[in-house]
Amino acid sequence: MKALDIIFGLALAIGGLLVPLSGDAYLMGLVFQLAMWIALAQSWSMLSSTTGYLSLGHAVFYGIGAYVCVLLTGVVPFGVALAAGAAASAVFAGLIGLPVLRVQGPYFVILTYGLAELVRNVVMRIESALGSFGRMIFMVPSFEVLVWCMVALGILATLGAAAVRHSALGAGLAAIRENEVAAETVGVPVARLKLLAFVASATIPGAVGGLALLRTGYFEPAQAFDPVISFTIVTMALVGGTETVRGPVLGALGFTLLSEALWSSLPQLYMIVLGLTLIAFILFVPRGLSGLADRALGRG
Amino acid sequence: MDTLLSGQLLFAALVSGSLYALIALGLNLVYGTLRLLNIAHGDLVMIGAYTAFWLFTLLSIPPVVSFFVAAALCALLGWAVYEGMFRRLLANPGLAKRVEANSLILFYGISVILQNLTALAFTSSSRGYQYLDTVITWQGVSMTGNRLLSLGVAGGICIAALLFLRFHLFGWELRAVIQRREAAQIVGVNLNRVQPIIICAGFAIAGIAGVLVSMTEQITPFMGFPFTIIAFVVIIIGGLGNIGAGVLAGLSLGLIETYGVALTSPGYRSILIYGLFVAVLLIRPEGIFTKAVRS
Repeated sequence: MKALDIIFGLALAIGGLLVPLSGDAYLMGLVFQLAMWIALAQSWSMLSSTTGYLSLGHAVFYGIGAYVCVLLTGVVPFGVALAAGAAASAVFAGLIGLPVLRVQGPYFVILTYGLAELVRNVVMRIESALGSFGRMIFMVPSFEVLVWCMVALGILATLGAAAVRHSALGAGLAAIRENEVAAETVGVPVARLKLLAFVASATIPGAVGGLALLRTGYFEPAQAFDPVISFTIVTMALVGGTETVRGPVLGALGFTLLSEALWSSLPQLYMIVLGLTLIAFILFVPRGLSGLADRALGRG
Repeated sequence: MDTLLSGQLLFAALVSGSLYALIALGLNLVYGTLRLLNIAHGDLVMIGAYTAFWLFTLLSIPPVVSFFVAAALCALLGWAVYEGMFRRLLANPGLAKRVEANSLILFYGISVILQNLTALAFTSSSRGYQYLDTVITWQGVSMTGNRLLSLGVAGGICIAALLFLRFHLFGWELRAVIQRREAAQIVGVNLNRVQPIIICAGFAIAGIAGVLVSMTEQITPFMGFPFTIIAFVVIIIGGLGNIGAGVLAGLSLGLIETYGVALTSPGYRSILIYGLFVAVLLIRPEGIFTKAVRS
Protein backbone atom coordinates (compact mmCIF):
# COMPACT_ATOMS: atom_id res chain seq x y z
CA MET A 1 0.00 0.00 0.00
CA LYS A 2 2.78 2.35 0.90
CA ALA A 3 4.51 1.78 -2.42
CA LEU A 4 1.19 2.23 -4.21
CA ASP A 5 0.60 5.52 -2.41
CA ILE A 6 3.99 6.82 -3.46
CA ILE A 7 3.51 5.76 -7.08
CA PHE A 8 0.04 7.35 -7.13
CA GLY A 9 1.36 10.55 -5.58
CA LEU A 10 4.32 10.74 -7.96
CA ALA A 11 2.07 10.15 -10.96
CA LEU A 12 -0.26 12.96 -9.86
CA ALA A 13 2.64 15.32 -9.20
CA ILE A 14 4.43 14.64 -12.49
CA GLY A 15 1.16 14.77 -14.41
CA GLY A 16 0.35 18.13 -12.81
CA LEU A 17 3.75 19.57 -13.63
CA LEU A 18 3.59 18.36 -17.26
CA VAL A 19 0.11 19.69 -18.03
CA PRO A 20 1.14 23.35 -18.56
CA LEU A 21 3.47 22.17 -21.36
CA SER A 22 0.41 21.00 -23.30
CA GLY A 23 -0.95 24.56 -23.34
CA ASP A 24 -4.51 23.25 -22.97
CA ALA A 25 -6.34 25.96 -21.01
CA TYR A 26 -9.12 23.71 -19.76
CA LEU A 27 -6.75 21.05 -18.49
CA MET A 28 -4.58 23.67 -16.82
CA GLY A 29 -7.61 25.13 -15.06
CA LEU A 30 -8.53 21.69 -13.80
CA VAL A 31 -5.02 20.98 -12.51
CA PHE A 32 -4.92 24.41 -10.88
CA GLN A 33 -8.14 23.74 -8.98
CA LEU A 34 -7.10 20.24 -8.00
CA ALA A 35 -3.68 21.32 -6.74
CA MET A 36 -5.28 24.20 -4.86
CA TRP A 37 -7.72 21.99 -2.97
CA ILE A 38 -5.04 19.38 -2.26
CA ALA A 39 -2.81 22.09 -0.81
CA LEU A 40 -5.64 23.50 1.31
CA ALA A 41 -6.97 20.16 2.56
CA GLN A 42 -3.49 18.86 3.39
CA SER A 43 -2.66 22.05 5.27
CA TRP A 44 -5.90 21.76 7.20
CA SER A 45 -5.12 18.15 8.07
CA MET A 46 -1.79 19.15 9.67
CA LEU A 47 -3.71 20.61 12.59
CA SER A 48 -7.21 19.24 12.43
CA SER A 49 -6.76 15.60 11.43
CA THR A 50 -3.82 15.11 13.76
CA THR A 51 -5.19 16.81 16.88
CA GLY A 52 -8.96 16.65 16.32
CA TYR A 53 -9.15 20.46 16.67
CA LEU A 54 -11.48 20.98 13.69
CA SER A 55 -10.85 24.38 12.15
CA LEU A 56 -13.88 25.81 10.40
CA GLY A 57 -12.10 29.03 9.57
CA HIS A 58 -9.26 28.23 7.22
CA ALA A 59 -10.62 30.76 4.73
CA VAL A 60 -9.09 33.41 6.97
CA PHE A 61 -5.55 32.30 6.07
CA TYR A 62 -6.43 32.05 2.40
CA GLY A 63 -7.95 35.54 2.56
CA ILE A 64 -5.06 37.13 4.42
CA GLY A 65 -2.63 35.68 1.89
CA ALA A 66 -4.72 37.04 -0.95
CA TYR A 67 -5.01 40.46 0.67
CA VAL A 68 -1.30 40.84 1.37
CA CYS A 69 -0.56 39.62 -2.14
CA VAL A 70 -2.88 42.14 -3.80
CA LEU A 71 -1.37 44.98 -1.78
CA LEU A 72 2.14 43.96 -2.81
CA THR A 73 1.83 42.98 -6.48
CA GLY A 74 3.32 45.60 -8.69
CA VAL A 75 5.46 46.78 -5.77
CA VAL A 76 7.60 43.65 -5.41
CA PRO A 77 8.14 40.62 -7.71
CA PHE A 78 5.24 38.21 -7.55
CA GLY A 79 7.25 35.44 -5.86
CA VAL A 80 8.05 37.80 -3.00
CA ALA A 81 4.40 38.83 -2.78
CA LEU A 82 3.35 35.18 -2.49
CA ALA A 83 5.95 34.50 0.19
CA ALA A 84 4.77 37.58 2.05
CA GLY A 85 1.19 36.29 1.87
CA ALA A 86 2.24 32.97 3.35
CA ALA A 87 4.33 34.72 6.00
CA ALA A 88 1.45 37.01 6.93
CA SER A 89 -0.87 34.04 7.44
CA ALA A 90 1.75 32.28 9.56
CA VAL A 91 2.30 35.38 11.69
CA PHE A 92 -1.43 35.84 12.15
CA ALA A 93 -1.81 32.20 13.23
CA GLY A 94 1.12 32.62 15.61
CA LEU A 95 -0.43 35.71 17.16
CA ILE A 96 -3.91 34.31 17.70
CA GLY A 97 -2.79 30.70 18.25
CA LEU A 98 -2.22 30.59 21.98
CA PRO A 99 -5.54 32.05 23.14
CA VAL A 100 -7.53 30.33 20.38
CA LEU A 101 -6.08 26.88 20.98
CA ARG A 102 -6.96 27.09 24.66
CA VAL A 103 -10.59 26.76 23.58
CA GLN A 104 -11.57 23.14 23.02
CA GLY A 105 -14.08 20.87 21.33
CA PRO A 106 -17.16 22.41 19.71
CA TYR A 107 -16.20 25.83 21.07
CA PHE A 108 -13.01 25.69 19.02
CA VAL A 109 -14.95 24.78 15.87
CA ILE A 110 -17.31 27.73 16.10
CA LEU A 111 -14.61 30.08 17.38
CA THR A 112 -12.50 29.51 14.26
CA TYR A 113 -15.56 30.16 12.16
CA GLY A 114 -16.39 33.36 14.05
CA LEU A 115 -12.81 34.60 13.85
CA ALA A 116 -12.72 34.14 10.09
CA GLU A 117 -15.97 36.07 9.73
CA LEU A 118 -14.68 38.81 12.03
CA VAL A 119 -11.53 39.26 9.94
CA ARG A 120 -13.59 39.18 6.75
CA ASN A 121 -15.85 41.95 8.01
CA VAL A 122 -12.95 44.02 9.29
CA VAL A 123 -11.19 43.80 5.92
CA MET A 124 -14.44 44.68 4.13
CA ARG A 125 -14.79 47.69 6.42
CA ILE A 126 -11.20 48.81 5.82
CA GLU A 127 -11.61 48.46 2.07
CA SER A 128 -14.83 50.43 1.96
CA ALA A 129 -13.32 53.10 4.24
CA LEU A 130 -10.48 53.38 1.71
CA GLY A 131 -13.13 53.80 -0.95
CA SER A 132 -12.05 50.65 -2.77
CA PHE A 133 -14.71 48.28 -4.00
CA GLY A 134 -12.66 45.43 -5.34
CA ARG A 135 -9.13 45.77 -6.69
CA MET A 136 -7.89 44.77 -10.11
CA ILE A 137 -4.43 43.33 -10.55
CA PHE A 138 -2.33 43.84 -13.64
CA MET A 139 1.05 42.44 -14.63
CA VAL A 140 0.06 38.94 -13.61
CA PRO A 141 2.53 36.18 -14.55
CA SER A 142 1.38 33.74 -17.23
CA PHE A 143 -1.13 31.07 -16.32
CA GLU A 144 1.45 28.30 -16.91
CA VAL A 145 3.63 29.77 -14.17
CA LEU A 146 0.68 29.99 -11.81
CA VAL A 147 -0.23 26.35 -12.42
CA TRP A 148 3.35 25.25 -11.74
CA CYS A 149 3.40 27.24 -8.53
CA MET A 150 0.08 25.77 -7.39
CA VAL A 151 1.17 22.20 -8.15
CA ALA A 152 4.36 22.89 -6.23
CA LEU A 153 2.28 24.08 -3.26
CA GLY A 154 0.14 20.93 -3.47
CA ILE A 155 3.26 18.75 -3.41
CA LEU A 156 4.79 20.80 -0.61
CA ALA A 157 1.63 20.56 1.49
CA THR A 158 1.42 16.79 0.97
CA LEU A 159 5.07 16.28 1.89
CA GLY A 160 4.57 18.60 4.85
CA ALA A 161 1.54 16.67 6.06
CA ALA A 162 3.47 13.40 5.73
CA ALA A 163 6.41 14.89 7.61
CA VAL A 164 4.16 16.13 10.42
CA ARG A 165 2.51 12.73 10.80
CA HIS A 166 5.71 10.72 10.82
CA SER A 167 7.69 12.92 13.20
CA ALA A 168 7.88 13.39 16.94
CA LEU A 169 5.57 16.35 16.43
CA GLY A 170 2.97 14.02 14.92
CA ALA A 171 3.26 11.59 17.81
CA GLY A 172 2.71 14.46 20.23
CA LEU A 173 -0.30 15.71 18.27
CA ALA A 174 -1.82 12.23 18.23
CA ALA A 175 -1.40 12.11 22.00
CA ILE A 176 -3.25 15.43 22.24
CA ARG A 177 -6.08 14.02 20.13
CA GLU A 178 -6.45 10.93 22.28
CA ASN A 179 -6.24 12.63 25.66
CA GLU A 180 -4.88 16.12 26.07
CA VAL A 181 -4.71 16.07 29.86
CA ALA A 182 -2.88 12.76 29.93
CA ALA A 183 -0.48 14.00 27.24
CA GLU A 184 0.34 17.06 29.29
CA THR A 185 0.83 14.95 32.41
CA VAL A 186 3.42 12.71 30.77
CA GLY A 187 5.35 15.72 29.58
CA VAL A 188 4.14 16.45 26.03
CA PRO A 189 4.53 20.23 25.54
CA VAL A 190 0.88 20.48 24.55
CA ALA A 191 0.56 24.23 24.03
CA ARG A 192 3.75 24.51 21.98
CA LEU A 193 2.92 21.55 19.71
CA LYS A 194 -0.59 22.79 19.03
CA LEU A 195 0.73 26.24 18.17
CA LEU A 196 3.35 24.74 15.87
CA ALA A 197 0.74 22.67 14.05
CA PHE A 198 -1.58 25.68 13.80
CA VAL A 199 1.12 27.87 12.24
CA ALA A 200 2.13 25.05 9.90
CA SER A 201 -1.44 24.55 8.76
CA ALA A 202 -1.89 28.30 8.14
CA THR A 203 1.22 29.00 6.07
CA ILE A 204 0.55 27.28 2.74
CA PRO A 205 -3.08 28.50 2.55
CA GLY A 206 -1.65 32.04 2.59
CA ALA A 207 0.34 31.37 -0.58
CA VAL A 208 -2.59 29.47 -2.12
CA GLY A 209 -4.85 32.47 -1.54
CA GLY A 210 -2.32 34.71 -3.24
CA LEU A 211 -2.05 32.44 -6.28
CA ALA A 212 -5.80 32.00 -6.61
CA LEU A 213 -6.13 35.76 -6.54
CA LEU A 214 -3.48 36.26 -9.22
CA ARG A 215 -5.41 33.86 -11.40
CA THR A 216 -8.69 35.76 -11.19
CA GLY A 217 -6.92 39.11 -11.27
CA TYR A 218 -9.50 40.62 -8.98
CA PHE A 219 -9.67 41.01 -5.21
CA GLU A 220 -12.88 41.41 -3.30
CA PRO A 221 -12.82 40.74 0.45
CA ALA A 222 -16.23 39.03 0.56
CA GLN A 223 -14.94 36.47 -1.94
CA ALA A 224 -11.39 36.07 -0.68
CA PHE A 225 -12.66 35.26 2.83
CA ASP A 226 -15.71 33.30 1.66
CA PRO A 227 -16.73 30.80 4.40
CA VAL A 228 -17.62 28.32 1.63
CA ILE A 229 -13.85 27.85 1.21
CA SER A 230 -13.52 26.74 4.83
CA PHE A 231 -16.47 24.39 4.54
CA THR A 232 -15.22 22.87 1.29
CA ILE A 233 -11.82 22.17 2.84
CA VAL A 234 -13.42 20.40 5.79
CA THR A 235 -15.73 18.41 3.53
CA MET A 236 -12.90 17.26 1.28
CA ALA A 237 -10.65 16.29 4.16
CA LEU A 238 -13.38 14.41 6.04
CA VAL A 239 -14.73 12.60 3.00
CA GLY A 240 -11.20 11.73 1.95
CA GLY A 241 -10.42 10.39 5.40
CA THR A 242 -8.49 11.88 8.29
CA GLU A 243 -6.33 8.91 9.18
CA THR A 244 -3.88 9.00 6.28
CA VAL A 245 -1.93 11.48 4.18
CA ARG A 246 -3.69 10.05 1.14
CA GLY A 247 -7.14 11.05 2.48
CA PRO A 248 -7.13 14.76 1.60
CA VAL A 249 -5.74 13.99 -1.88
CA LEU A 250 -8.58 11.56 -2.59
CA GLY A 251 -11.17 13.97 -1.17
CA ALA A 252 -9.88 16.88 -3.24
CA LEU A 253 -9.72 14.70 -6.34
CA GLY A 254 -13.29 13.45 -5.90
CA PHE A 255 -14.88 16.83 -5.29
CA THR A 256 -12.88 18.69 -7.92
CA LEU A 257 -13.99 16.22 -10.58
CA LEU A 258 -17.56 16.33 -9.29
CA SER A 259 -17.51 20.11 -9.34
CA GLU A 260 -16.12 20.02 -12.89
CA ALA A 261 -19.06 17.84 -13.94
CA LEU A 262 -21.81 19.78 -12.19
CA TRP A 263 -20.75 23.23 -11.08
CA SER A 264 -20.94 25.11 -14.36
CA SER A 265 -24.30 23.70 -15.40
CA LEU A 266 -26.02 22.98 -12.08
CA PRO A 267 -24.23 24.69 -9.20
CA GLN A 268 -27.09 24.07 -6.80
CA LEU A 269 -27.16 20.37 -7.60
CA TYR A 270 -23.40 20.23 -6.97
CA MET A 271 -23.90 21.73 -3.53
CA ILE A 272 -26.72 19.29 -2.77
CA VAL A 273 -24.56 16.32 -3.79
CA LEU A 274 -21.76 17.77 -1.62
CA GLY A 275 -24.09 17.89 1.36
CA LEU A 276 -25.43 14.39 0.81
CA THR A 277 -21.94 12.91 0.36
CA LEU A 278 -20.73 14.57 3.52
CA ILE A 279 -23.64 13.18 5.56
CA ALA A 280 -23.28 9.71 4.08
CA PHE A 281 -19.54 9.56 4.80
CA ILE A 282 -19.82 10.79 8.39
CA LEU A 283 -22.52 8.22 9.16
CA PHE A 284 -21.46 5.21 7.12
CA VAL A 285 -17.82 5.62 6.10
CA PRO A 286 -16.05 7.32 9.01
CA ARG A 287 -12.65 6.34 7.62
CA GLY A 288 -13.40 8.07 4.34
CA LEU A 289 -12.35 7.33 0.78
CA SER A 290 -8.94 6.42 2.08
CA GLY A 291 -10.46 3.66 4.21
CA LEU A 292 -12.47 2.47 1.21
CA ALA A 293 -9.29 2.29 -0.85
CA ASP A 294 -7.64 0.20 1.85
CA ARG A 295 -10.55 -2.19 1.88
CA ALA A 296 -10.69 -2.42 -1.91
CA LEU A 297 -7.02 -3.34 -1.98
CA GLY A 298 -7.57 -5.97 0.68
CA ARG A 299 -6.07 -4.22 3.65
CA GLY A 300 -9.11 -3.44 5.78
CA MET B 1 -28.15 61.87 22.28
CA ASP B 2 -31.87 62.45 21.85
CA THR B 3 -32.23 59.54 19.50
CA LEU B 4 -30.39 57.31 21.97
CA LEU B 5 -32.94 58.00 24.70
CA SER B 6 -35.97 57.79 22.42
CA GLY B 7 -38.58 55.10 22.82
CA GLN B 8 -38.21 54.44 19.10
CA LEU B 9 -34.77 52.94 19.50
CA LEU B 10 -35.81 50.94 22.55
CA PHE B 11 -38.73 49.50 20.60
CA ALA B 12 -36.45 48.50 17.73
CA ALA B 13 -34.04 46.90 20.20
CA LEU B 14 -36.83 44.94 21.88
CA VAL B 15 -38.23 43.69 18.57
CA SER B 16 -34.89 42.35 17.36
CA GLY B 17 -33.89 41.22 20.85
CA SER B 18 -37.02 39.13 21.32
CA LEU B 19 -36.58 37.60 17.86
CA TYR B 20 -32.95 36.69 18.65
CA ALA B 21 -34.03 35.21 21.97
CA LEU B 22 -36.65 33.09 20.22
CA ILE B 23 -34.29 31.79 17.53
CA ALA B 24 -31.62 31.03 20.09
CA LEU B 25 -34.15 29.27 22.33
CA GLY B 26 -34.70 26.57 19.72
CA LEU B 27 -30.98 26.08 19.14
CA ASN B 28 -30.28 25.98 22.84
CA LEU B 29 -32.98 23.38 23.57
CA VAL B 30 -31.55 21.06 20.94
CA TYR B 31 -27.99 21.57 22.14
CA GLY B 32 -28.91 21.26 25.81
CA THR B 33 -30.71 17.96 25.51
CA LEU B 34 -29.02 16.25 22.57
CA ARG B 35 -25.60 17.93 22.47
CA LEU B 36 -26.14 18.53 18.77
CA LEU B 37 -24.80 21.78 17.33
CA ASN B 38 -27.39 22.67 14.73
CA ILE B 39 -25.63 24.85 12.20
CA ALA B 40 -28.73 24.49 9.97
CA HIS B 41 -30.89 26.28 12.53
CA GLY B 42 -31.07 29.47 10.48
CA ASP B 43 -32.16 27.47 7.45
CA LEU B 44 -35.22 26.34 9.40
CA VAL B 45 -35.97 30.02 9.92
CA MET B 46 -35.69 30.34 6.14
CA ILE B 47 -38.13 27.46 5.63
CA GLY B 48 -40.61 29.05 8.02
CA ALA B 49 -40.28 32.33 6.12
CA TYR B 50 -40.90 30.66 2.75
CA THR B 51 -43.91 28.81 4.14
CA ALA B 52 -45.45 32.09 5.29
CA PHE B 53 -44.59 33.81 2.01
CA TRP B 54 -46.19 31.19 -0.23
CA LEU B 55 -49.25 30.71 1.94
CA PHE B 56 -49.81 34.47 1.96
CA THR B 57 -49.12 35.12 -1.73
CA LEU B 58 -50.83 32.09 -3.22
CA LEU B 59 -53.67 31.37 -0.81
CA SER B 60 -53.96 34.69 1.08
CA ILE B 61 -53.50 32.82 4.34
CA PRO B 62 -52.26 35.33 6.94
CA PRO B 63 -49.08 34.70 8.96
CA VAL B 64 -51.18 34.24 12.10
CA VAL B 65 -52.27 30.92 10.60
CA SER B 66 -48.90 30.20 8.97
CA PHE B 67 -47.31 29.98 12.43
CA PHE B 68 -48.93 26.61 12.88
CA VAL B 69 -48.16 25.34 9.40
CA ALA B 70 -44.51 26.42 9.61
CA ALA B 71 -44.15 24.94 13.09
CA ALA B 72 -45.64 21.63 11.95
CA LEU B 73 -43.49 21.50 8.84
CA CYS B 74 -40.26 22.16 10.72
CA ALA B 75 -41.22 19.75 13.50
CA LEU B 76 -41.75 17.07 10.87
CA LEU B 77 -38.34 17.82 9.44
CA GLY B 78 -36.87 17.58 12.94
CA TRP B 79 -38.46 14.21 13.46
CA ALA B 80 -37.14 12.96 10.09
CA VAL B 81 -33.63 14.19 10.84
CA TYR B 82 -33.67 12.58 14.28
CA GLU B 83 -34.98 9.23 13.09
CA GLY B 84 -32.90 9.13 9.93
CA MET B 85 -29.62 10.42 11.25
CA PHE B 86 -29.10 11.24 14.87
CA ARG B 87 -30.58 8.14 16.40
CA ARG B 88 -27.78 6.32 14.59
CA LEU B 89 -25.17 8.90 15.56
CA LEU B 90 -26.13 8.91 19.23
CA ALA B 91 -26.32 5.10 19.37
CA ASN B 92 -22.89 4.52 17.82
CA PRO B 93 -20.27 4.94 20.56
CA GLY B 94 -17.49 5.71 18.07
CA LEU B 95 -19.43 8.58 16.53
CA ALA B 96 -21.07 9.74 19.76
CA LYS B 97 -17.67 10.21 21.38
CA ARG B 98 -17.25 13.33 19.27
CA VAL B 99 -20.94 14.00 18.86
CA GLU B 100 -20.63 17.79 18.88
CA ALA B 101 -18.09 18.06 16.11
CA ASN B 102 -19.80 15.34 14.08
CA SER B 103 -23.23 16.90 14.48
CA LEU B 104 -21.86 20.24 13.39
CA ILE B 105 -20.59 18.71 10.16
CA LEU B 106 -23.79 16.71 9.60
CA PHE B 107 -25.92 19.80 10.08
CA TYR B 108 -23.66 21.66 7.71
CA GLY B 109 -24.58 19.04 5.12
CA ILE B 110 -28.27 19.51 5.92
CA SER B 111 -27.89 23.28 5.70
CA VAL B 112 -26.28 23.13 2.27
CA ILE B 113 -29.00 20.77 1.05
CA LEU B 114 -31.87 22.92 2.37
CA GLN B 115 -30.45 26.15 0.93
CA ASN B 116 -29.81 24.74 -2.49
CA LEU B 117 -33.06 22.80 -2.73
CA THR B 118 -34.91 26.03 -1.95
CA ALA B 119 -32.82 27.91 -4.50
CA LEU B 120 -33.52 25.23 -7.12
CA ALA B 121 -37.24 25.30 -6.41
CA PHE B 122 -37.87 29.02 -5.99
CA THR B 123 -34.76 30.70 -7.54
CA SER B 124 -32.38 32.83 -5.49
CA SER B 125 -34.21 36.12 -5.93
CA SER B 126 -35.42 37.88 -2.81
CA ARG B 127 -39.11 38.03 -2.07
CA GLY B 128 -41.40 39.82 0.32
CA TYR B 129 -45.01 40.64 1.05
CA GLN B 130 -46.92 43.34 2.89
CA TYR B 131 -48.80 42.47 6.01
CA LEU B 132 -49.96 44.73 8.86
CA ASP B 133 -47.56 47.45 7.79
CA THR B 134 -49.62 50.46 8.76
CA VAL B 135 -47.86 52.69 11.24
CA ILE B 136 -49.33 53.08 14.71
CA THR B 137 -48.03 55.97 16.80
CA TRP B 138 -48.19 55.74 20.54
CA GLN B 139 -46.47 58.11 22.97
CA GLY B 140 -44.36 59.42 20.10
CA VAL B 141 -43.13 55.96 19.15
CA SER B 142 -44.00 54.83 15.63
CA MET B 143 -44.62 51.12 15.36
CA THR B 144 -45.89 48.90 12.59
CA GLY B 145 -48.46 46.23 13.35
CA ASN B 146 -46.20 43.42 12.12
CA ARG B 147 -43.38 44.47 14.44
CA LEU B 148 -45.75 44.61 17.39
CA LEU B 149 -47.03 41.15 16.48
CA SER B 150 -43.46 39.89 16.19
CA LEU B 151 -42.56 41.26 19.62
CA GLY B 152 -45.71 39.76 21.14
CA VAL B 153 -45.30 36.30 19.63
CA ALA B 154 -41.55 36.02 20.24
CA GLY B 155 -41.81 37.36 23.78
CA GLY B 156 -44.84 35.21 24.50
CA ILE B 157 -43.20 31.97 23.36
CA CYS B 158 -40.00 32.69 25.31
CA ILE B 159 -41.94 33.40 28.50
CA ALA B 160 -44.16 30.36 27.99
CA ALA B 161 -41.12 28.14 27.47
CA LEU B 162 -39.46 29.42 30.64
CA LEU B 163 -42.65 28.90 32.68
CA PHE B 164 -43.01 25.41 31.21
CA LEU B 165 -39.45 24.50 32.20
CA ARG B 166 -40.08 25.83 35.69
CA PHE B 167 -43.48 24.34 36.47
CA HIS B 168 -44.37 21.42 34.21
CA LEU B 169 -43.19 17.91 35.00
CA PHE B 170 -41.82 17.45 31.46
CA GLY B 171 -40.00 20.74 31.88
CA TRP B 172 -38.32 19.32 34.97
CA GLU B 173 -37.32 16.19 33.08
CA LEU B 174 -35.85 18.40 30.42
CA ARG B 175 -33.83 20.42 32.88
CA ALA B 176 -32.60 17.23 34.44
CA VAL B 177 -31.39 15.98 31.05
CA ILE B 178 -29.70 19.30 30.32
CA GLN B 179 -27.93 19.42 33.66
CA ARG B 180 -26.89 15.79 34.16
CA ARG B 181 -27.66 13.47 31.31
CA GLU B 182 -26.61 10.21 32.92
CA ALA B 183 -28.12 11.03 36.30
CA ALA B 184 -31.43 11.93 34.64
CA GLN B 185 -31.57 8.48 33.07
CA ILE B 186 -30.93 6.84 36.43
CA VAL B 187 -33.85 8.62 38.06
CA GLY B 188 -36.15 7.46 35.29
CA VAL B 189 -36.13 10.06 32.53
CA ASN B 190 -36.69 8.33 29.21
CA LEU B 191 -34.17 9.88 26.82
CA ASN B 192 -35.72 8.15 23.83
CA ARG B 193 -38.91 10.06 24.53
CA VAL B 194 -37.43 13.41 25.51
CA GLN B 195 -34.96 13.70 22.63
CA PRO B 196 -37.31 13.48 19.63
CA ILE B 197 -39.83 15.78 21.32
CA ILE B 198 -37.18 18.40 21.92
CA ILE B 199 -35.69 18.27 18.46
CA CYS B 200 -39.21 18.74 17.02
CA ALA B 201 -39.90 21.61 19.44
CA GLY B 202 -36.58 23.29 18.69
CA PHE B 203 -37.15 23.04 14.93
CA ALA B 204 -40.77 24.25 15.26
CA ILE B 205 -39.67 27.34 17.19
CA ALA B 206 -37.23 28.18 14.39
CA GLY B 207 -40.06 27.82 11.87
CA ILE B 208 -42.24 30.23 13.83
CA ALA B 209 -39.36 32.69 14.03
CA GLY B 210 -39.11 32.43 10.25
CA VAL B 211 -42.74 33.49 9.85
CA LEU B 212 -42.00 36.52 12.05
CA VAL B 213 -38.95 37.45 9.97
CA SER B 214 -40.89 37.16 6.70
CA MET B 215 -43.41 39.77 7.85
CA THR B 216 -40.81 42.51 8.05
CA GLU B 217 -37.87 41.50 5.86
CA GLN B 218 -37.08 40.30 2.36
CA ILE B 219 -36.42 36.57 2.21
CA THR B 220 -33.95 34.53 0.12
CA PRO B 221 -32.82 30.89 0.22
CA PHE B 222 -29.54 31.98 1.81
CA MET B 223 -31.00 34.24 4.50
CA GLY B 224 -30.59 31.60 7.20
CA PHE B 225 -26.90 31.69 7.92
CA PRO B 226 -26.78 35.12 9.61
CA PHE B 227 -29.55 33.92 11.92
CA THR B 228 -27.57 30.81 12.78
CA ILE B 229 -24.65 33.00 13.74
CA ILE B 230 -26.81 35.33 15.80
CA ALA B 231 -28.27 32.33 17.61
CA PHE B 232 -24.79 31.00 18.31
CA VAL B 233 -23.65 34.39 19.62
CA VAL B 234 -26.67 34.47 21.92
CA ILE B 235 -26.26 31.00 23.36
CA ILE B 236 -22.51 31.41 23.75
CA ILE B 237 -23.13 34.58 25.76
CA GLY B 238 -25.82 32.86 27.80
CA GLY B 239 -23.91 29.60 28.08
CA LEU B 240 -24.56 26.53 25.90
CA GLY B 241 -27.57 24.63 27.21
CA ASN B 242 -28.55 27.36 29.65
CA ILE B 243 -32.10 28.17 28.55
CA GLY B 244 -33.09 31.08 30.81
CA ALA B 245 -29.78 32.88 30.43
CA GLY B 246 -30.06 32.39 26.68
CA VAL B 247 -33.32 34.36 26.55
CA LEU B 248 -31.73 37.13 28.58
CA ALA B 249 -28.71 37.08 26.28
CA GLY B 250 -30.96 37.36 23.21
CA LEU B 251 -32.56 40.52 24.55
CA SER B 252 -29.14 41.88 25.50
CA LEU B 253 -27.80 41.25 22.01
CA GLY B 254 -30.77 43.13 20.53
CA LEU B 255 -29.98 46.07 22.80
CA ILE B 256 -26.23 45.95 22.17
CA GLU B 257 -26.71 45.69 18.43
CA THR B 258 -29.31 48.43 18.09
CA TYR B 259 -27.53 50.91 20.34
CA GLY B 260 -24.10 49.95 19.03
CA VAL B 261 -25.21 50.63 15.47
CA ALA B 262 -26.92 53.87 16.50
CA LEU B 263 -23.68 55.06 18.09
CA THR B 264 -21.47 54.10 15.12
CA SER B 265 -22.87 53.20 11.71
CA PRO B 266 -24.71 50.23 10.17
CA GLY B 267 -21.43 49.15 8.55
CA TYR B 268 -20.15 48.09 11.95
CA ARG B 269 -23.03 45.73 12.71
CA SER B 270 -21.31 42.49 11.68
CA ILE B 271 -18.00 43.49 13.25
CA LEU B 272 -19.83 44.19 16.50
CA ILE B 273 -21.60 40.82 16.52
CA TYR B 274 -18.60 38.72 15.52
CA GLY B 275 -16.31 40.70 17.79
CA LEU B 276 -18.61 40.00 20.72
CA PHE B 277 -18.78 36.34 19.74
CA VAL B 278 -15.01 35.90 19.55
CA ALA B 279 -14.39 37.91 22.71
CA VAL B 280 -16.86 35.87 24.75
CA LEU B 281 -15.47 32.57 23.48
CA LEU B 282 -11.90 33.58 24.22
CA ILE B 283 -12.56 35.03 27.64
CA ARG B 284 -15.41 32.98 29.05
CA PRO B 285 -16.43 30.04 26.84
CA GLU B 286 -18.83 28.83 29.53
CA GLY B 287 -20.91 31.98 29.03
CA ILE B 288 -21.19 35.33 30.76
CA PHE B 289 -24.43 34.71 32.61
CA THR B 290 -23.52 31.30 33.95
CA LYS B 291 -22.04 30.65 37.33
CA ALA B 292 -18.77 28.79 36.99
CA VAL B 293 -20.09 25.41 38.03
CA ARG B 294 -19.41 22.75 35.44
CA SER B 295 -19.07 19.05 35.74
